[in-house]
Amino acid sequence: MTDLVVEELTAGYGDARVLHGVSLTVGQGEICAILGPNGAGKTTLLRALSGMIRARGTVTLGGADLTGRSPDTLARQGIAHVPEGRGTFMPLTVEENLRLGAYVRRRGADVEADLDRIHTYFPVLKTRLKQAAGSLSGGEQQMLAIGRALMSRPRLLLLDEPSLGLAPLVTRELFRIVQAINAEERTTVVVVEQNAHLALGIAQQAHVLETGRIVLSGTAEEIRADEQVAQSYLGYRV
Amino acid sequence: MAGFLQQLVQGLGAGAIYASLALALVLIYQFTGIVNFAQGELAMFSTYIAWQLTAAGLPFWLALVTTLAVSFAGGMLIERVIIRPVEGAPELTLVIVTVGLFIFVNAAAGWIWTFLIKDFPNPFPAGALEAGGISVSFSTLGVLAVVGVVMGLLYVLFRHTKIGLGMRAVATNPESARLVGIRVGWTLALGWGLASTVGAVSGVLVAPLLFLEPNMMGGVLIYAFAAATLGGFDSPMGAVAGGLIVGVAETLAGAYVGFIGSDLKVGVPLVIILGVLLLRPQGLFGRAVVERA
Repeated sequence: MTDLVVEELTAGYGDARVLHGVSLTVGQGEICAILGPNGAGKTTLLRALSGMIRARGTVTLGGADLTGRSPDTLARQGIAHVPEGRGTFMPLTVEENLRLGAYVRRRGADVEADLDRIHTYFPVLKTRLKQAAGSLSGGEQQMLAIGRALMSRPRLLLLDEPSLGLAPLVTRELFRIVQAINAEERTTVVVVEQNAHLALGIAQQAHVLETGRIVLSGTAEEIRADEQVAQSYLGYRV
Repeated sequence: MAGFLQQLVQGLGAGAIYASLALALVLIYQFTGIVNFAQGELAMFSTYIAWQLTAAGLPFWLALVTTLAVSFAGGMLIERVIIRPVEGAPELTLVIVTVGLFIFVNAAAGWIWTFLIKDFPNPFPAGALEAGGISVSFSTLGVLAVVGVVMGLLYVLFRHTKIGLGMRAVATNPESARLVGIRVGWTLALGWGLASTVGAVSGVLVAPLLFLEPNMMGGVLIYAFAAATLGGFDSPMGAVAGGLIVGVAETLAGAYVGFIGSDLKVGVPLVIILGVLLLRPQGLFGRAVVERA
């Protein structure tokens, strides 16, 4: 069953158009990887999906039309965006950061149980609850950002370059957790990633974006087997 | 010694008033990055509303609560109507807008209530508390108590409520706040409402000590700027501490430094502002912003 449907999405900054009509669908509970070189429009695509920038075209999530809504409205509709740079509230404590993730939840929602749930995915956060979030390492901040996103119990999780600036081991651990989250919560995930190996490792389907257009779509296996992708993004010939 | 303690307490009383206006300045600066030159005038206008209500026969404390509610709504309205259109504009634009607001509010008060001075009722009983050779007027004690309560309420709001947490999130990272679903526009308006309310408290407290007239907050605003600069413009705690320090410094300098006396007292905050900007621009409790070149 399809969950996210994007049709003819165009977006940009000022007069500079970055996305030229992107269309894609993601099934309920699936992980979709967006690959592509720098400047292809990957981050812009996520920003358009979460309402951070204005976009034209249509976006529906679970049948509800979300085109042109503001980010705070979209957050209430179940979209959680972990932005590039992680969006940490630096001076606030780790616990406050997590609680902010639950800001859109209804009064009386079981936020405490959700905090426990986050701690099972990211045990390290539990030991740092009272610490200022800005004092965490890059990997911990990325975990915090994903934890914050999960606190809203999102229907759709948007991850922007989760591997950026992290050590390979930390990155692999992070992707393993994302996969576990997806499996347990049935959260639909769209992940933008430079590290094509890792992204294809957890995704069911993938799209390659170049200069604002989708140039290749398929299952993760098909994309991995594509010679051109192998050359451009995986660093070897098939 | 008793004389010194006497001066100290008096200084704290004055400082508490500066602290509340400084707190209003800091609240707005934190949320919108605007140094609100009109803060004192808004407080003055609120005080006139309180005066009007008591003149109409309302008991003082009821008039005060009504005034604070009106100030809150007025602050939100100003943010929505006047500040929103220039949000994110260059600093000079924002300064000009708040200076314009200063002139407008000042003139409006003069137009409505004239520039003749008015007596403002003192809510606290006359007389003083005698203890250990010093006497503290009930008025000073009352000011300290009211400002203390306001600080306490703000602390509870910011530290222990969901709205307060959301407001702190907006102050530290508005973009990320939007992504977790906080309505940032309303939060900024809420910040202006709170600041106007806290400023109104300072106006109502200072009016019985001075006389009520449209220019009464001019001096207080300078002290509040000194307090906010000293404490750090991004630290509410610092604003309070700065206010108390400025109040005490001013009172002690007036009493003990011969050539200053009561005439040159108003120079003290300017010296403090200059000293802080030269030695520790971020203030005592502020965070220095370091950017990589």
